Amino acid sequence: MTVGINLLEIRDLTIDFHTDEGLVRAVDNLSLSIRPAEVMGLVGESGSGKSVTAKTIMRLAPDNAVVQHLSQITLNHQGQDVNVLKLRGRDLRLVRGNAVSMIFQEPMASFAPAIRISDQIIQTMQIHLGYSKDQARRVGIELFDRVGIVDPAKRFDQYVFELSGGMRQRAMIAMALSTQPKLLIADEPTTALDVTIQAQVLDLMMELREQMGMAMLFITHDLGVVSKIADNVTVMQRGKAVEVGSAERVLFQPQHPYTRRLLDALPHLENLPEAPRHTPEPLLSVKNLSVSYPTSGKGRKTELFTAVKNISLDLPEGQIIGLVGESGSGKTSLGKAMLGAAPISSGGVQYHNTEKKVTFGVGKPVKRKHLARTAQLVFQDPYSSLNPRMTARDIIAEPLEAMRLTKSREETDQKVIEVAKRCHIEVEHLRRFPHAFSGGQRQRISIARALVCKPKFIVADESVAALDVSIQAEILNLLKELKEELGLTILFISHDLSVIANLCDWVCVMRHGELVEQGSVRQIFLNPQQAYTQKLISSIALLDAKESRSHRSPEWPCMAEQSVSVVSCERV
Amino acid sequence: MNALLARFGRKSKQTKNDESYYTAGQMALIKARFKRKTSGVVAAWILGTMVLMGFFAPFFSPVDPTIRGADAEYRRGAPQMIYFWDDNGFSLRPFSYTYKKVNAKIDLKALAGGGLDALDAFIASGALSSSSQNKFEIDKNNRRYVQFFVKGWDYSLIDLSVGSLDLDFRWDRHLFGVERGQIHLMGTDEDGKDVFSRTLHAVWVTISIAIVALIVKLFVSLFVGGVSGYFGGRVDTIMMSITEAVRVIPPIPIYLACAVALAHIDLTPVQRYFAIAVVIGALDFATLGRRLRTHILTERNQDYVLAAKLCGSSTRRIIWRHLIPSFTSYIIVDTLINFPYVILAETSLSFLGLGLTEPVNSLGVLLQKAQDPDIQQNMVWQFFPVLVFVFLIMAFVFVGDALRDAADPYSEKK
Amino acid sequence: MITQFLLDTWLLWLLLGVGGLLWWGGRDSQYVNYVFNRYLLALATLVLVSGIVFSLMEVLPGDCAEKYIAYKNTQGETITEADIQAERVRMGLDKSLPERWGRWVTNLTLRGDLGFSCAKRQSVNLALGNRFWMSFMFCIAGLMFSYLIAVPFGILSAFTINKPWTDKNPQHSKAEQLAGTAVLSLQKVVDLLLRIISYLGLALPNFLLALTIILLYVFAGEPMPTGLFSDQWVNVPWFGPDGFETGKFYDFLGHIWLPIFVIGWSATALQLQTVRALVVDESNKLYVDAARARGVDGLTLWAGYPVRHSISPLFNSIGFDFQRVFNDLPIVAVVIGLTDSAALLIEALSMTNDQELAAAILFLVALVVISMNFMTDVVLAAIDPRVRKSVLGNG
Repeated sequence: MTVGINLLEIRDLTIDFHTDEGLVRAVDNLSLSIRPAEVMGLVGESGSGKSVTAKTIMRLAPDNAVVQHLSQITLNHQGQDVNVLKLRGRDLRLVRGNAVSMIFQEPMASFAPAIRISDQIIQTMQIHLGYSKDQARRVGIELFDRVGIVDPAKRFDQYVFELSGGMRQRAMIAMALSTQPKLLIADEPTTALDVTIQAQVLDLMMELREQMGMAMLFITHDLGVVSKIADNVTVMQRGKAVEVGSAERVLFQPQHPYTRRLLDALPHLENLPEAPRHTPEPLLSVKNLSVSYPTSGKGRKTELFTAVKNISLDLPEGQIIGLVGESGSGKTSLGKAMLGAAPISSGGVQYHNTEKKVTFGVGKPVKRKHLARTAQLVFQDPYSSLNPRMTARDIIAEPLEAMRLTKSREETDQKVIEVAKRCHIEVEHLRRFPHAFSGGQRQRISIARALVCKPKFIVADESVAALDVSIQAEILNLLKELKEELGLTILFISHDLSVIANLCDWVCVMRHGELVEQGSVRQIFLNPQQAYTQKLISSIALLDAKESRSHRSPEWPCMAEQSVSVVSCERV
Repeated sequence: MNALLARFGRKSKQTKNDESYYTAGQMALIKARFKRKTSGVVAAWILGTMVLMGFFAPFFSPVDPTIRGADAEYRRGAPQMIYFWDDNGFSLRPFSYTYKKVNAKIDLKALAGGGLDALDAFIASGALSSSSQNKFEIDKNNRRYVQFFVKGWDYSLIDLSVGSLDLDFRWDRHLFGVERGQIHLMGTDEDGKDVFSRTLHAVWVTISIAIVALIVKLFVSLFVGGVSGYFGGRVDTIMMSITEAVRVIPPIPIYLACAVALAHIDLTPVQRYFAIAVVIGALDFATLGRRLRTHILTERNQDYVLAAKLCGSSTRRIIWRHLIPSFTSYIIVDTLINFPYVILAETSLSFLGLGLTEPVNSLGVLLQKAQDPDIQQNMVWQFFPVLVFVFLIMAFVFVGDALRDAADPYSEKK
Repeated sequence: MITQFLLDTWLLWLLLGVGGLLWWGGRDSQYVNYVFNRYLLALATLVLVSGIVFSLMEVLPGDCAEKYIAYKNTQGETITEADIQAERVRMGLDKSLPERWGRWVTNLTLRGDLGFSCAKRQSVNLALGNRFWMSFMFCIAGLMFSYLIAVPFGILSAFTINKPWTDKNPQHSKAEQLAGTAVLSLQKVVDLLLRIISYLGLALPNFLLALTIILLYVFAGEPMPTGLFSDQWVNVPWFGPDGFETGKFYDFLGHIWLPIFVIGWSATALQLQTVRALVVDESNKLYVDAARARGVDGLTLWAGYPVRHSISPLFNSIGFDFQRVFNDLPIVAVVIGLTDSAALLIEALSMTNDQELAAAILFLVALVVISMNFMTDVVLAAIDPRVRKSVLGNG
């Protein structure tokens, strides 16, 4: 690697925000440099300041942001060093679309909804490159073709909501590339995508980068993705850069404990548990289950949309079962159907080994009181699953009070405290309202609510998807604890395969409402049988196995175990 | 609560570690946010003062506003100012002057004997013009000192009588008054009634109509929105169509029609007053009803409602414990924001002579007098209720705005 | 005979014809189907409104028979209770409410006949003459006045909303900071002024405003501009021997500004706040930032992105804006002395108890509002892709 001039150099960047609570520091003395045609991975969780940094490079920071005096951002453009922070007026266009372009996390939200994509791309090219309308149009359609959009001429003239998820992301990439920028900033571009599409988009970006010789600042929280694409890595935590270096060094010889924590969230395919000797008894059986929703079809007819198509399944007791699928696979519908919360159009669900017989399906309505004491649900969104007007204690006590399971307030309180302790919620915090808790704490409250009437079965519907990686680990450990101490059976629904690999014993794979494959976690991840499963597994962003083996330092295997225990000891 | 409010006073910065912030329920949070907006707080103080003065109007008014208190000596009189200092020296106690009516001199003899020229001169002298009706001679040497807590006319402080149970607390002290005669801070009208007293009483009458109307509106909207939102489907479509149809018709003509209908039934002024309030309130359910219905429709599908169902909550429990508290703050804010509009509706009606009429004291009635050109030209001080009216509405608008801002961002900080 | 029948019922055929066309088109195109649905909904709402209006007018005391007899009385004939009753039967007034309503509605839809005003002793269509058009014009003019002011100023206000008063950016030199502060303060002052104006607009009802203006005229000693024309121009025709009478036109302008200003006043205040809130909402969305990241700036950014996306909800509210303006019109008409249908309405309701006239005017207002809502719905679904998507599904 030649030591050349830096394309972008950031020195001592310090950014504060004016908030109701005073001046809050978002970025603290950050220094970063990117050479031409190099990919820098900027890693961090929410609140780390990575997005703010990216926005400041393009001078897009919100109005209440204050960039402190000593900060410096320098861009090397056509041989000249440009002080980015001092740009004014029309000169700002240099960093906004000309030499620097950005792609966002939500492609749907970054295109104007009521303006055609063609108009937006053509406008961009007209501003920066001075093309005529026809010229810009030709170049635009060519770009669409280059990024792999099928039927580019037709799609070019459409509105953004007419395109599917993957296509939107490609269209956004096309738009960002239309001005031939020297630096492309990608702010979590693959986070909102399905795993298979994520892999495709990453490949596309690598390809384009090779062809165009572009530098990239790739912002993400996923170290697996970083390992595929980055040359250098900067890890940020709460505004500070805690680890900087080449990708190999940071990913395989991490120095800072935070980096190690992040690395732990990646699936450890070497550590997958063995399948138990004999498969335990099924706790619940699903037979020929179909779930259909009425929707408005074409014209005047209402159509039925079948989310789950005739599935039969047995869930073994006392295990954590992972239900995997991409969006639209019907996994949430199946999970909800097991709790009687989705419209069942055929078949039924039966629970075994319960005090009172619990079975329901078509023709047999749900007996809510019985079911509620056997099975519960933990939701995905920690913000909307708790009533913002009830205290934590009241939320957790709800099942007890609603079904009158306790005789006095003291008894209820006692049970609430017991379950709160088990979920590692501090007793003094029970008086507080949900707005006082963080996302991870709220999920604990959700779990506590689900546990308070001692069910045998819990469905966790994407329960960690909305949480930061390090918090995810805590919740996952909590679930493992509960399985071991209480013998709970947990159905864990997720699209994130790395989480499943780290957590589950048994895995079921769904696609378009059908069950594609099921087996122990070792079987599915190391030896997938079906084509679809194979495709899924191959698209997981893992640390490159080949590299890891050759560059593995002697401390690496021990570190993996160490870090697991480090995480499980920490409680927040 | 005091500690909570003290904490959220404008000066101190609230820290995330503050326990009272965490244990603050929704209403306390809204209050705290409201206090941060100066304009809202100032307006709230002004509003509170005005409402209080209106409620205890008899205490604050030195003169009886009804015809009983009319000052025969001082009709169409200009405001009597209070001074602390004049040519005769400084006085710690505030005082006013004595006023004596000056009658236009009509020389009948000259008129009788002078023929047309005398008549012309007479008319030109302005002796007959209406503006000469209210000439008063100010006797600056005759001071009348202002006293506080004077004994004056008898009034009812709070009337809690119910049926035959008489719980009427009467009193006769007033905040201020003068030694001899009466003091008219804002002048008097054609009958000699004190403008200041009438205005104060009118404030309370207007506000109480608004309160009644808003309560009626609340109940009707709750019913319509609740039934519509909860049952959905067919019931929802029908109720929303009816709501839409009612919403299309301009309300003021409808009020007029109802007012006319009421005029033909024999009602005491108090009953008229209630009937008008009920009509205004009942016909205004469209917007609030629709909002509640939309709110309920969306809240029904929220995760936490589903969670409650899965916990075994009965329908009734869900409604009481989850759905209703979710819109309580919205209702309160909406009610306050709608005060000005209801007050405007009542004033418009009374202004047209179809709502309340003389001798009732309401702001609408007082405003109606401002239409009279005689008053516009000669008794400008009778526009004092206009000023009070504008102030009252502005105060409501500012408070409503600040409250809306305080209640709206009840969204979680992610 | 058949031609006579068709002529008698032309309105009905028109309505049916339009409906049929839409139904036919709706079989294939989702959009036309949507239009058809709205059309049906509009008609249904109209029927409901007619029912409500009709029953409300029943509360006005005195029915047609009494008025007829009273009229006869002024002619010198004496009347008895039996006469009144007989007259009622003759007129069909003893039939039940639904029946009478049905007859009124059928008359209306078949021929566009608004009924017969017993108080005025002439057909309502005649009595109204072009007065409803007058009111309509007033309201539209008032609305346009309010949009013309509210939209640009609302956008300007939205632009300044989150900006601070001073420029404390450490990246700027002292001189730049000073200049920046001056610009920002100016913007903030403008914003504050606009907000005060909008509050005043809400607080000062139309009639009070009219009164205040008249009072100002009184103080100034000038004659008040009541009515539409001053005395000297009232009876002069628009087109005199020398062609267009420009004098009359200037007189007209001199008078018309008062009603339009008063009518548009509180509509402006409300619109200011609405526009501001809409634009602020849109400008906080991600796509505006994304556009900025592409180098779009200044006026192009504001016009093309937040404003363009706020126009739909604004356009949608035209129907109800009209209704609100018409709501204030009666009182303003009384204060200023106009002679349009709103003044007629007040007279009909409060003085002459003219139920038919009042019902007809209210129905016409509702008709205008419902038609406006229908048209804005249809137009929006045609040109705004977001509305099209949400309304038609994935069409």
